[in-house]
Order: sequence, then structure tokens, then C-alpha cells
Amino acid sequence: MTANLRVVRTAFELDIKHQAVDLFLIFGVVVQPLLIALMAIYMLLDRDPSRGIYVVVGSGMTGLWTSLLFRGTFSINAERYYGTLEGIVASPTSLGTVVIGKTLASVSVSLLSMIFSYGLASLIFRFPLRIAQPGLFLASLVFTVVAFISFGLLIAPLMAVNLSFSGWVNALEYPMYIMGGFLFPIFMLPNWSNPVSYLLAPYWAAKILHAASGPGAALPEILLSWGMMLLLGAVYVAISYQLFKIVLRRARVDATLGLM
Amino acid sequence: MKKFTNSIRIFFSGAVLSYKALFRWFRLEPYLATKVVAPLNQILFFSLLGSFATGRDTASFYAIGNAIQLTAMSGIYGVTMSIGGERNEGTLIYLFGTPANRLLTFVGRAFVHVLDGMLGVLMGLVWAGLLLGVDYSQADLSALALTVLVTTASTSGFGLLMGCVSLVTVNVMFINNTIYFLLLVFSGANVPLGNFPVWIQRAAHLLPLTRGIQAARQVIAGASVPQVWPLLIGELLIGAAYVSIGYLLFSWFEIEAKRRGTLEAF
Repeated sequence: MTANLRVVRTAFELDIKHQAVDLFLIFGVVVQPLLIALMAIYMLLDRDPSRGIYVVVGSGMTGLWTSLLFRGTFSINAERYYGTLEGIVASPTSLGTVVIGKTLASVSVSLLSMIFSYGLASLIFRFPLRIAQPGLFLASLVFTVVAFISFGLLIAPLMAVNLSFSGWVNALEYPMYIMGGFLFPIFMLPNWSNPVSYLLAPYWAAKILHAASGPGAALPEILLSWGMMLLLGAVYVAISYQLFKIVLRRARVDATLGLM
Repeated sequence: MKKFTNSIRIFFSGAVLSYKALFRWFRLEPYLATKVVAPLNQILFFSLLGSFATGRDTASFYAIGNAIQLTAMSGIYGVTMSIGGERNEGTLIYLFGTPANRLLTFVGRAFVHVLDGMLGVLMGLVWAGLLLGVDYSQADLSALALTVLVTTASTSGFGLLMGCVSLVTVNVMFINNTIYFLLLVFSGANVPLGNFPVWIQRAAHLLPLTRGIQAARQVIAGASVPQVWPLLIGELLIGAAYVSIGYLLFSWFEIEAKRRGTLEAF
């Protein structure tokens, strides 16, 4: 257990260092969410300035997802590219543990999106921003981090199992913005699409964060959102466990580990 | 005469080869994901966001704006990578070693991307009609085609300028991504220009796309070519200005790189 935690911490630290000099990540975490927030401010707040905190949370969620999607997609494939994947797989630590550390790093860094958006809305535009239930908001943020890490654990081996999946990464960014209800509620979408949203942990994260920051949330709504994030997180981890087994089988039995 | 024929031949062969080189990784899946599905998602997201903000009856405003803005995918990313790719792939020294006409070589890098960009906009407009109910019944389709051509050409002109920037930096994707999103915000695709402070409105009119998007909206609403002519002329002039600045940079880069021996150095 202690050894695994040490690996998580080391992977976390290394990934933070990588991200600090990765301009693409800086774009995804800082520039893009800020520009989306700016756009949303001009689009949404023209009629209702009280939506400021909604924009902050929503654009922050876009940064979280963009970072998770791109970092998750290239989490294992980047090691393959650097030529370090063989070393990781050959070591006694599981590949999944390393990916947990890396995903934790990208989720932690991408929380900055929300802080930058908050700064933009409050300092530049002087919108009155107030989180209605700060305690609930912070607790929900912890559940969000757990849910996003679980999703990241699903994405990483999925993209490594079949490299052609990574070609779809650009096309997967907006669907989560839409289905997750980040900047507009899913009632804007056709009813048939709503069950898909319910299967996405980011949707429950956005729902409870919006509720906690805005009008307030009732206890059943809180418990439902937290419960769904935990449940879906467990399902993602279970699926990712199987996917990691496929990746490792291909690596060890089929000897296709280093192939791009 | 022979010199002229040679220049034209180089223009077209350079245009086609640079496009092919860019898509050397070409497989159907990534192409579909990047050029068909991702644009659809962009149009849907911003149209839904706009509808949420201002009412469902405004979806056309956002759908048309984003469909036209899609030309930046070819015009900015494609053109920039075609020029920057010469250095990345080590072909820049051969390019600058030839006596080929530099202006045609330079502008030729954008040629196929203009066609590709028009195809992308067409796809976006079809998506907008099918999924968001944009009504083209009042539109003069030839005027719309002209508007798309002019806007795509001017955006590619901006891409040529950014391509020159890519010759002196390794972080071109960061710049491209930022430019693409700046165009999304300030070209009027998603936010009516009147919502911005005056100084931003003025700056927005220095960007490609701004007038093109305005013209496209007017043409789809039933305006004729003479009615949108001032916008189209303005869009063309903006594009020409960017091509000129880009070409000057390109020429300066060649002279400086040859003088300093830094053709392949970043």
C-alpha cells in the first residue's frame, strides 16, 4: 500500500512537471476555458448577471474535461512514444497505479480552470460572485475529482487498446460539454439523449456543483449526485481494470507494447 | 511564356503536394473525426449555448456563424501546418534553394486548403440546415458560394501569416489554438459584435471572418451580392493585407535564415 502510494506520488510529481512546460496543456487549462468563459459571459450575462457563478463553474468544467480527455488519451501512449512504457510494465508496480498518479495530476491542475474563470468574472467584469453553499461545493469538488480520475482511468487504457481511437479525441471534446450540462442544462437536448447524460459522472459533477454554487441544493439531490458519481466511478474503474488487462496482455503475449 | 507556365505548374504542384504531405497520416477515421464530426459538435454546442442564452429562435444566428467560422480549421490549422511543415520535414532548404517564384510558392500553400475549407463550410451549413433548422429558402446560393469563397480565402491569408510565424517558433499549435478560439469569440460567430466594447469591435474588424460571417447571415436572410458587396470587398482587403504581411515575413525570413545559416534552426 505504502509502495503504491509512493508510486502515485512520484507519477503525480513528474506529471505536474510535464504539464508545467506543456503549452498545449496550458492552452487547455488556462486559455481555452478563459475564452469560453469570456464568450459565455457575453452570451449569458447580457440578460442575467446573476448567472456569473454558473459561467465560472461551467467553463471550469470544460477545462477539467478537456484536460482529462487529452491527458487521458495520451497517458499511456505518451509513455509508448517516449520509450518508457516497457520499463513501467516490467516494474513490479501496476500500470494502473502509475496512471492514477498521472490522472490525479491532470485533474488537480485543471481545477485551476475554475479559479482563472472566477478571476476573470470577478476581477475583470466585476460580477458579484458568491457560492451559495461553500461547504457543499468543496465536498462536491472532492467527489468530482474522484469521479474524473475514474473516468481518466477508463480513457487511458481504452485509447491504448486501439490507437485509432485516439484519432477521435478532437471530436470528443464538445459532446461532453453538451451532454454534461456544463454551460446549459440538458433539458435543451432531446429527451432521448438524457439517459446518456445520466451515465456520465461529469454530468452529475456539473449538476451538483451548479446547484451548490447557485440556488442551493436539497439533500436528496446532493445524495443522488454524490452517489451517482461514486457508483459510476466504481463502474469505470471495473471496466478500466479489464482494459488494463488487455493492454498488458498485448504487451506481454503479443509483444506489441512499443508499437505506435 | 515558358517561365510563366513553369510558375503556374509549380503553383499547382506545390499546392497539391503540400496538402498531401500534411495528410500523409491520412486514414478515413481521423479525417472524419476532425473534418465532419468535430465541426458538427462545435456548431451544436454553441448553437445550444446561444439558444439557452437568448432563446431557441436565435439558433440560426449561432449555427450560421459557427458554420462559416469552420473555415478557420483549414485556413488557420491547415495552412499554418503546410508552411511550418517545410521546416519540420527538412524540405525548407530545398525550397529556398530553387529559383521558383516565391510569391506563387508561398500563396500556393493555401490553395487546396481554400477548397477544403469551402467544403468544410458547406458541410457545416448542411448540418445547420438539417439539425438546427436554418432556412436557406431566401438565400441566393451563388451569392452564398461567393461569400464562402471570399471568407475562406481571407482566412487562409491569415493562415499564411501564421505559417510564417510557425517558421520562427516551435509552439505553433499553441498559437493556432489560441487564434482559432479568438476568432470564435471576436469574429461575431457567437457574440453579436455590438455586445463588445467599441475598441474590441474595432479590433474585430481587423480580423478575417468578421465581415464574411456578417455577409453570410445577410445573404441567407435574402440579401443579394450588391447588398453585401462592401462587406465582401472589406473581407478581401483584410485577407490581401495578411497575405502581403505574410509574404514580406516569408521573404525576410529567407534572407535572414540564409545570411545566418539558420534555415533549420528554431
